[in-house]
Amino acid sequence: MSDRSQLISTGEPFKFDQERDTEFERLIKRYPERESMILPALWLTQEQEGWISAEAIAYIADRIGTFASKVFECATFYTMYHLHPMGKYHICVCRTLSCWLRDKQAIVDFLKDEIGIEPGQKSEDGRFSLEEVECLGHCGTAPVVQINGEFHEEMDVEKLKALLAELN
Amino acid sequence: MAEMIKLFVNGNEVEVEAGKNLIDAIGAVGIEIPHLCYHPALGADGNCRMCLVGLEEGGPPLVAACKTPAAEGMKVLLDADHIKKIQHDVLEFQLINHPVDCPVCDQAGECSLQDYYMTYDGQKSRMTVPQVTKSKKMDFGCGVIHDQERCVLCGRCVRFCRQITKTGELGIVNRTDTARVAIFPGRPLDNRYAVNVVDLCPVGAMTSADFRFKQRVWFMKKERGVCHGCSKGCNITIDHNREKDQDDLIYRFRPLFNEQINGYFICDEGRLSYRDENENRLTEARLSKTTMSLDKAVTAGLKEIKRAEGIVILISPDCSLEQMVSVKSLAEELGATLSGFSDGYIKKGDGDDYLIQDDKAANRAGLAALNIDSSQTGFEEALAKAGLLINFNNDLSLFYDESSLKKLFKEKRVIGVTSRNTKLFQMANLVIPVASFTEYSGSIISCDNILQTFNRAITKNDTLVDICEVASLFGGPLKTDRDRYDELKKIVVSLNDFDPDTIPATGLKLT
Amino acid sequence: MEVKILSAKFDLEDGHKLEIAKQHGAYGTLDKLFAMKPEEVIEEVKASGLRGRGGAGFPAGVKWGFLPKGTGKPVYLAVNSDESEPATFKDRYILVKDPHMMIEGIIICSYAIGSHDTYIYIRGEYTSQVKALQAAIDEAYEAGYLGDKVAGHDFKLEVTVHRGAGAYVCGEETGLLESIEGKKGQPRAKPPFPAVSGLYGCPTIINNVQSIASLPFILEKGAEAYKAYGTEKSSGTHLFGISGHVEKPGMYELPLGLPLLEVVEKVAGGVWKGRTLKGVIPGGSSTPVLTPDEAKTVTLDYESMAEHKTMFGSGGIVVLDETVDMVKLVENLIYFYHHESCGQCTPCREGLGWMLKIIKKVVRGEGEMSDINLLLELCDNIEMKTVCVLSAACTMPVRSYLVKFRDEFDAYVSEDISTAAANQE
Repeated sequence: MSDRSQLISTGEPFKFDQERDTEFERLIKRYPERESMILPALWLTQEQEGWISAEAIAYIADRIGTFASKVFECATFYTMYHLHPMGKYHICVCRTLSCWLRDKQAIVDFLKDEIGIEPGQKSEDGRFSLEEVECLGHCGTAPVVQINGEFHEEMDVEKLKALLAELN
Repeated sequence: MAEMIKLFVNGNEVEVEAGKNLIDAIGAVGIEIPHLCYHPALGADGNCRMCLVGLEEGGPPLVAACKTPAAEGMKVLLDADHIKKIQHDVLEFQLINHPVDCPVCDQAGECSLQDYYMTYDGQKSRMTVPQVTKSKKMDFGCGVIHDQERCVLCGRCVRFCRQITKTGELGIVNRTDTARVAIFPGRPLDNRYAVNVVDLCPVGAMTSADFRFKQRVWFMKKERGVCHGCSKGCNITIDHNREKDQDDLIYRFRPLFNEQINGYFICDEGRLSYRDENENRLTEARLSKTTMSLDKAVTAGLKEIKRAEGIVILISPDCSLEQMVSVKSLAEELGATLSGFSDGYIKKGDGDDYLIQDDKAANRAGLAALNIDSSQTGFEEALAKAGLLINFNNDLSLFYDESSLKKLFKEKRVIGVTSRNTKLFQMANLVIPVASFTEYSGSIISCDNILQTFNRAITKNDTLVDICEVASLFGGPLKTDRDRYDELKKIVVSLNDFDPDTIPATGLKLT
Repeated sequence: MEVKILSAKFDLEDGHKLEIAKQHGAYGTLDKLFAMKPEEVIEEVKASGLRGRGGAGFPAGVKWGFLPKGTGKPVYLAVNSDESEPATFKDRYILVKDPHMMIEGIIICSYAIGSHDTYIYIRGEYTSQVKALQAAIDEAYEAGYLGDKVAGHDFKLEVTVHRGAGAYVCGEETGLLESIEGKKGQPRAKPPFPAVSGLYGCPTIINNVQSIASLPFILEKGAEAYKAYGTEKSSGTHLFGISGHVEKPGMYELPLGLPLLEVVEKVAGGVWKGRTLKGVIPGGSSTPVLTPDEAKTVTLDYESMAEHKTMFGSGGIVVLDETVDMVKLVENLIYFYHHESCGQCTPCREGLGWMLKIIKKVVRGEGEMSDINLLLELCDNIEMKTVCVLSAACTMPVRSYLVKFRDEFDAYVSEDISTAAANQE
């Protein structure tokens, strides 16, 4: 795991849009303590913006009424929270045991070549970002790739080529 | 008296206090269980794993001592080989990514990691792969500098800011071995107790900007003292050193544990008040602009007293009881009006519900105990009728601005007996330098009505006299410590049963 | 060999929808449930021998019995749907294919333990699954199976889905609770156990999805019917995930107690590509590997696994063929556990990173024999010195490879390999 504590600032104040605001208020009633909203609020932010800025963390902390340091801790601890903008298509390749056994490396190598970036990077045109992630829980249909949250199972290079071609 | 129970440590029966965890209970009888994350003020966290001990018969074989309450009949294993191995192994893990930069680390000499290495490890490093790198020299605010690489992630600093100051500026971000203590960008440490994290840090990860690189800790002498920054009377350790060819200087105040007063902590303002002991000190007596010896100054003072028509003596609320009683007797001897007027010492709204008090006077309760009038009208009316003001270290400029002071002193003679070379005392006709609170012994009564005594910690190259001494030289009748204490006892009924040497070191709650 | 108890509705078209699920018996146990006393439900579950399906295998009914009575505090149920142990992928079938079976299980469990608030903790990676689950919960609320009066009975039950965000350690039950409370998923020291002081400091039961989903069958057919499957001490069925080098990887419901290799052969189609078997990981990546010889005698139950000095774990079976480089596999494993260490306890935080760097050095051909020995020693120095078992989940399997396939590690540090690697560069 690399350091995730170097937050990016947009220079603009952040707030939830109407939809997220409503969802935030709905969810907070589900918990007896407000701090339980830290993870859900981070998710709402990521849904809205695609990533989580320093301003968003401060906003969440103030909205919940907790310390920014606590939200900061969670944002950096949980690796699915994007702390910088991702590509239009964020591709996650599972790198763990069962996918590794079924040659996830071929998939990673193909993507590196095809998109021209290393895992952890974003393509210059902003279309793709690539990430190797830990077990995605689809070991029986390995190797598995997740693009913008959608699972693609039993992947191989041919299937992936076709899949990339479908993405506009 | 706490309930005592019997348990066994390494097969030996010991009697310890019930209800405490094993670290504190066994520690109280002199048996150390190494620990980094546990701190009695912050509770047990259990992350450092240094305090793992064995339990024989019943229960899990291995427990974190910080999380385990001492229980009757418990059989604690500390010196077994497998426990010693764990202590060594955990230390090895602590050290593999530690920079081991002790030669340039301020903590060296008072570092748990260093001490434990000597006690529990002492092996060569087996680390042959690159270390984890993190950030160094991070300005966390409030004069706290952080080194993430030295940090052992015990979380004491984080817990302090969440539990004690409830300001929560610090967090441990990331996970696995990239975890590190951080502030949220733009929200640095912002509380009046922040520098306590430096004391709490068991290693050199948190350093004080004020103290950094100033002094190696093993050169400093440590004396107990009582902070005079406000009326709380927090206990402090005065760390000082006389470097070659120089004067004895104080390098820092640190909190000294006192359960009934300040616990483990002090405020940052009090901590930095050591500077006033070193700086802006009045060191020479002076009559108008001529400096002179103490003898000559006293003679000049006596002349002033003799020809004065009406004398007002003003005493500082910071003075010790001994000083107050000496000056009180002097006032009676001279037929002078004695005042303890010091409203300026009270900063309304500045205090909090923790340690910091509105009243910045260390011994206002002493004024009351000695029936010294502190009213503004009492002081001003008496002064209006008097020709001479003898001011024993009372900082009137906290109340009056410069023009008011000039008005107040108009056509008056003023003798300042003071430790401070300030504008106020530059206005005096005669000034006589005296010792400041780290340089004399005495007693004070806190805002919580706790009587505390303290001893002289610092001896300057050119020793300055105590106010008690000046009072005596001006004709006060109390000449010795015994005289002063006997007089105190006469006035303060609750002191009747006590002598200076029977007052507990942690203070005496007066009734 | 396959049975259809939990997976009975998995093959139905739209079996996840309430309407279809109801036609096939969903929520059919509720009238019976509310006619029983909670203690009777607990007794029935105890009698079924149902063991926690999250990995530890602790008897579910016994766990419920640990709840203190009359604390005046609410009792919480947390359903552990974090399944993040590599090679484990069973619970998501329930979430997607038959979520109402789990919701029915939640109602049964909640009634038994006197809880009115459930939090389902689902791993963040399960994006489509969380939507499917939420849709089912919404359906259940609308139909009155959740809410103020469950199925018209005087029993209130709220169910909330709480989504993780990429942290394996949240599958550890107290890490999970911390995460629901809005903290980093750093496991708590025990005692106190969650049954006494769990979520928000209140008594809490944490059960795995599959454990919960097993309850409707037990209640409907009775403990004896459940015990008819499996072995005496490992009763019932289990959703086994078989992955790795087999012809037909996938999720299969099987009674406990079947011979491992027979299952690999007959259910999963045997080792793929006609290759020979090199090893089997029996219950998720944290369980010690079995050699082909050891695998011959092991059966899929808690006792047999323990006899073979490994664990039943999550039932995630991974088959390794002859081509697997065990040194690189260990690198992959350590990478995972290091990445997932919560960073709290010193030995795990610092030690797993150290182990990872050492194994990488060995894989690069720069290692020495002392590195292999150090790895083994570090396994001992880390294991069981920490608050939770994440570190042991790494060191136990790593040790098993180091011991059982030592020659492969030695080959990496013998002079030939080092020289070969150096020459390559």
